[in-house]
Amino acid sequence: MRHDFLDRFSRLDSPIHRLPPALKLGASLALVLTVVLVPPARPAALVGLAVVLAVVAVLSRIPVLFLVGRLILLEPVVLGVASLGLLQPGGWRTFLFLVVRSTLCLGIMVLLSNTTPFSDLLHVLTAARVPVLVVTTLSLMDRYEFVLVDEAGRMKRARASRIFTSRRVRSWQTLATVVSQLFIRSSERAERIYAAMCARGWR
Amino acid sequence: MTPVIEVRDLHFSFDDGSRALRGVSFSIAEGECVGLIGPNGAGKSTLLLHLNGLLPETWRGASPVLVYGRPVTAESLPEVRRQVGLLFQDPNDQLFCPTVFEDVAFGPSQLDLGEAEVRERVTRALATAGITGFERRAPHHLSAGEKRRVCLAGVLACHPSILVLDEPTSSLDPRGRRELKAMLQRIPLTKLIATHDLDLVVELCSRVIVLDGGLVVAEGSTVEVLSNEELMLRHSLERPHALRHLHPH
Amino acid sequence: MHIPDGFLDARTAVTAGILAAAGLGIALRQARTHLPQRRVPLLGITAAFVFAAQMVNFPVAGGTSGHLIGAVLAAVLLGPSAGVVVISAVLIVQCLMFADGGISALGANILNMGVLGVVGGWAIYDLVSRAVRGLFGRILAAGFAAWCSTMIAAVACAGELAVSGTVGWSVVLPAMAGVHALIGVGEGLITALVLAAIARVRPELVQPEAGTSSRVSLRVTMAYGAVVTVTLALFASPLASRWPDGLDRTAEVLGFSRQAAAPMLAAPIPGYVMPGIQATALAISIAAIAGTGVAFVLAWLLACALVPRSSREHAAEPGAEP
Repeated sequence: MRHDFLDRFSRLDSPIHRLPPALKLGASLALVLTVVLVPPARPAALVGLAVVLAVVAVLSRIPVLFLVGRLILLEPVVLGVASLGLLQPGGWRTFLFLVVRSTLCLGIMVLLSNTTPFSDLLHVLTAARVPVLVVTTLSLMDRYEFVLVDEAGRMKRARASRIFTSRRVRSWQTLATVVSQLFIRSSERAERIYAAMCARGWR
Repeated sequence: MTPVIEVRDLHFSFDDGSRALRGVSFSIAEGECVGLIGPNGAGKSTLLLHLNGLLPETWRGASPVLVYGRPVTAESLPEVRRQVGLLFQDPNDQLFCPTVFEDVAFGPSQLDLGEAEVRERVTRALATAGITGFERRAPHHLSAGEKRRVCLAGVLACHPSILVLDEPTSSLDPRGRRELKAMLQRIPLTKLIATHDLDLVVELCSRVIVLDGGLVVAEGSTVEVLSNEELMLRHSLERPHALRHLHPH
Repeated sequence: MHIPDGFLDARTAVTAGILAAAGLGIALRQARTHLPQRRVPLLGITAAFVFAAQMVNFPVAGGTSGHLIGAVLAAVLLGPSAGVVVISAVLIVQCLMFADGGISALGANILNMGVLGVVGGWAIYDLVSRAVRGLFGRILAAGFAAWCSTMIAAVACAGELAVSGTVGWSVVLPAMAGVHALIGVGEGLITALVLAAIARVRPELVQPEAGTSSRVSLRVTMAYGAVVTVTLALFASPLASRWPDGLDRTAEVLGFSRQAAAPMLAAPIPGYVMPGIQATALAISIAAIAGTGVAFVLAWLLACALVPRSSREHAAEPGAEP
């Protein structure tokens, strides 16, 4: 099972994909800030922005269903936090405004992450003088996150095939063992990666 | 002529006291392709890690490993690691950069070369490994065979003097294996190949070293050693299919 | 607990960002001086591990499931500063790659979970594991610290939402604290289980390493302490005195008139409200102390269940553990 489907569209060829990553990151940040600073008295501005996003989405050639799917997946968090606003005086209007504003921002970030490979964003961060240790950590995390997710999946399946009870305690123990094994194997892998880096002259 | 690599009575024990290498000695001459075979746990991988100074972690006295006649020391480590191109068993451990280009460029970019030179080396290395056009690919989207080629390219880009490979054909499908074999045949560097794939040894290596229990138990021409059925069985190996038609000596 | 875009006002987001940068900066300085090069890849791999571990579903009831957050786990396994870097990296990747957590709220999210959650959680772990020795003490400390870490992050998050005027304290604090008191139990449970499982196979990974985790210098402790204190002062202060202002601002910022607001809560009548604040503050304090006490007891019981009797008897002997 491969979870890297989440990274499937970041390397397509489209006018949006071909834009420089620094521009995309900067523009996304600027757009988000614009949206966030829109006062509730001016909801029309948000409509304008939504149109812009829709145009970008079309130009990016990413399947609409995928984008919508990602939005739907992330929406519950927005709804959850916004629902606290329901208990406020002025409830529904607050709630709606917060949801629309936040969802627009989600759309911006979903478009950013699906039109720009993370490794390109790392180059931008390096150029922006982000400390080397942070960039190295991000780089290795990007490289190995799906490897470890797959490994965890394989271990879960292997254990599940030998568990014949559905008692929750047992399953928590099993899952904790899987997670612990994942860490142990990861730390051993980190040693091997260190050796591989040294073997090619890492300083 | 100075051998590329010479090992004189190498001993090594792990932290828990278990003795991995108990006095290993051999040498590899320029241009040779030597196979290193032996059962699991013989110490092959541990031995290979000594050849570019990844082991031992701390130095005690003179190193028994000599590269072009010079012992491996803390000072000579960077140069030794460039000269001895080690390919690890699991390409996933060796392929740690986000894109193919960056990974192959990792070695050369540690060598204080200009950007143009690095780019040129990467391009040539990718061509030798048969993966031109893979520059922007992400490692986790590659097949096992492709990953291995990227690792090979990454080592070649450092312009090593000797290629040391740890189980290069493991987990490759038959086509991947054929392609790797063809590639290794094309590359004119000195090679040391540790492997369980005895047919590969017959196809590529003129000489073979048998390691068992941390000791060299046999050494000689490939055909001679591998046809020795009794020797092979004694060390948990067997006569490879490629040599089945030959009568035992 | 990842705050999305659009829920924090500019002032809060920027302040949180500055504090997060300060905390991360302290961690990076520590790493630069104390982290051996050999351990550098471990940070990246552990970040990948935390990511993968967060995707493991721990079934709770009727389709819901709990997930590891991993702040205290990272801190115990790698030390507090490395833990800060690891969790911050996870949050950055989640934001930039998965749109999980807003980019304008990244500072706040890193502050809450990456700095407060890790450092606060580790401080409690360190305290408790010094008081109760041995593996038993470490498991107890980790389980309890993980619960506390979740609560600290939740309170800070609630504070930021309140100070931004998005939601009033009276709503957001009980909501966040209540929900995360339960989530924290899951976090404590998973953290303790995982650490106990690691300790069974590779005990040395759970031991504090000299020079990294347990020998944090006084200066670093005070630096982290400053970040934590300033954060709590800025974002938890409504509890002390600015409560009516907070709600007032809520009504104003959202552009709704005072008439629309519920009269009792919005009207700033000093004489009337003061005892109200004091009473509620007292109630919150009692709840906090009681909740923390319950969490500690639960952690103790858990450690009893996880650590074999022989190890615990070892712990009873003074000076038995290094």
